[in-house]
Amino acid sequence: METSEIPPARVAKSIGGKIFDVLSGFGLATVTLLLLGVLTWFATLEQIDNGLYPTLNKYFHWKSVFLLPEIKGKMVPLPLPGGYWVGALLLVNLILGGVIRIRKGWSHVGNLVSHFGIIFMLIGGGVAHHFSERGNMAVGEGESSNAAEDYFEYVVEVSEIKDGQAESVTVIRGDQINDLKDGRTRTFQFPEFPFDLEIGGYLGNCQPVSVYERAPDKQQLQADSYYLMEKPDEINAESNTAGCYVRIVYRDGKKSAPAIVAGASFHPFSVRLDDRVFTVDMRKRLWPMPFTVQLDKFTADFHPGTARPAKFVSEITRIEKESKANVTIQMNEPMRYEGLTFFQASYGPPGAGPGEKMYSVFEIVHNPADKWPEYSLYIVSLGMLITFLQKLGSHLAATSRKKRHV
Amino acid sequence: MLIVGAVFVSACEKDETVVITETREPTTRDKSPKLFATSDERFRDAKPSPVLGDMPEGWLALPASQFRLLNYRFGESGMGEVWVSLSAGTVIDNVNRWLTQFGADTLSPEGLAKLPPATLAGSTGKWVEAAGEYTSGMGDPARPGFALAGVVAAKDGQILTLKMVGPKAEVEAAKPVLEQFSKSLRMAE
Repeated sequence: METSEIPPARVAKSIGGKIFDVLSGFGLATVTLLLLGVLTWFATLEQIDNGLYPTLNKYFHWKSVFLLPEIKGKMVPLPLPGGYWVGALLLVNLILGGVIRIRKGWSHVGNLVSHFGIIFMLIGGGVAHHFSERGNMAVGEGESSNAAEDYFEYVVEVSEIKDGQAESVTVIRGDQINDLKDGRTRTFQFPEFPFDLEIGGYLGNCQPVSVYERAPDKQQLQADSYYLMEKPDEINAESNTAGCYVRIVYRDGKKSAPAIVAGASFHPFSVRLDDRVFTVDMRKRLWPMPFTVQLDKFTADFHPGTARPAKFVSEITRIEKESKANVTIQMNEPMRYEGLTFFQASYGPPGAGPGEKMYSVFEIVHNPADKWPEYSLYIVSLGMLITFLQKLGSHLAATSRKKRHV
Repeated sequence: MLIVGAVFVSACEKDETVVITETREPTTRDKSPKLFATSDERFRDAKPSPVLGDMPEGWLALPASQFRLLNYRFGESGMGEVWVSLSAGTVIDNVNRWLTQFGADTLSPEGLAKLPPATLAGSTGKWVEAAGEYTSGMGDPARPGFALAGVVAAKDGQILTLKMVGPKAEVEAAKPVLEQFSKSLRMAE
């Protein structure tokens, strides 16, 4: 009679255990890293035709769960997950696999530290995505400014004017008006003012045009012989100029004739009610700074025979309540102060001719995670150094042992 | 207009109401707003341009700006621009600045002399063309497949320029119109 040993039964893993294995495995790490590479490659190609801002939103915004790449106007039939969520999955993978599941012990300390560094970098990316603010400030030589301007968000501002100046500015944010298209309107109430404002007819990129210059072609609403002519979105989304129609809603319920407020207008729309004067304006959202920047001198150097900048340098005076500081801001040497970073971004006027008065443009970033990528690189480097030194030590010890045995 | 206004009102999907409480402090950008400006003042630069011209059919007049005395859009793409400016420097400075914006070689005085003549507000200037990747020179991204046509002329001690920039095919097609427009330009009284 033939006998055989019964092999020990394999303990089946629970569903939770299986999920943990997948989420913490090398396979997922490889797939997510590959996907991030593919997404970056497609985004780099797509932004050439569609512009940087919409492409970044499409590929890396948290609201983008799935996307189809588009190259030279043609859809690529390859559905890809949004980069934000791929990064989030990589973060989960690193925590489960690179911290929890990883073998522990002194010989793995380096790996563990490196994984912490990468986790810190990914979290920094998330913090920047959700909590950073960006804007720009253009200042002419000899002039000063204490406000940054958002790159994209158009708002409607209502101010009461006293002694020729705005007292305080009430702001209707972009996300409260940019859906007011196709006949949709919304009424905005101001507790401090004797009127409300009805807004409609929002266009993301438009130009007020006189009916005497070009007749309306789509039965657009007219206001004082002007209408808003829609324009295709600019490739550089920050060049779009939004516009909309407003009506003053008086306390007795009556409404004024429509008026246009537009990013492309030179002056605000004014309203007089009894003895009070108000302005209504559309502009990119302003972001007051805690100090004033005065541009003392701006210089721009170019690569010989080209319009490509080699160096821009802005010499500024930073003015606070009772103190002044001279600071130089140039490419790769930003000013960091009060949680804000001022980068030298560009200058103007466009195509400035010889001898023309110029202005400098700073990009201003408020990012709580501003320095986190740098710190994470230090952590990763430390982890790799520890690993390297351990390997070197083991190698030297093994070599020494071999020599003793010879 | 009444009909259009009625459409605006009747097409409202729903009357939503929102209370606004967000405020910000006034900044240097809020200094002395011009009150009760007319629509012409609000949407056009009210300062009369020192240069006048007969706008060709199909072009769109845009508000003038500090650096554009006359300002137009042309072409189907919506990216074609034409503007008239008064500039500083010399004719060759400005011609070479334009050429470098397209990565083209700059001209020597001899090369400048060989450019075809063109009339601009009663003066004779130089007709300039270039094509390639356009870099405006203020940090904007380069725009490939663009072209330039324009005139640079000395006028009463200043440099008067007429510049057309846009997608190459649209600039090529619009050159005769630009030439006519150039001839129509004149200084205001």
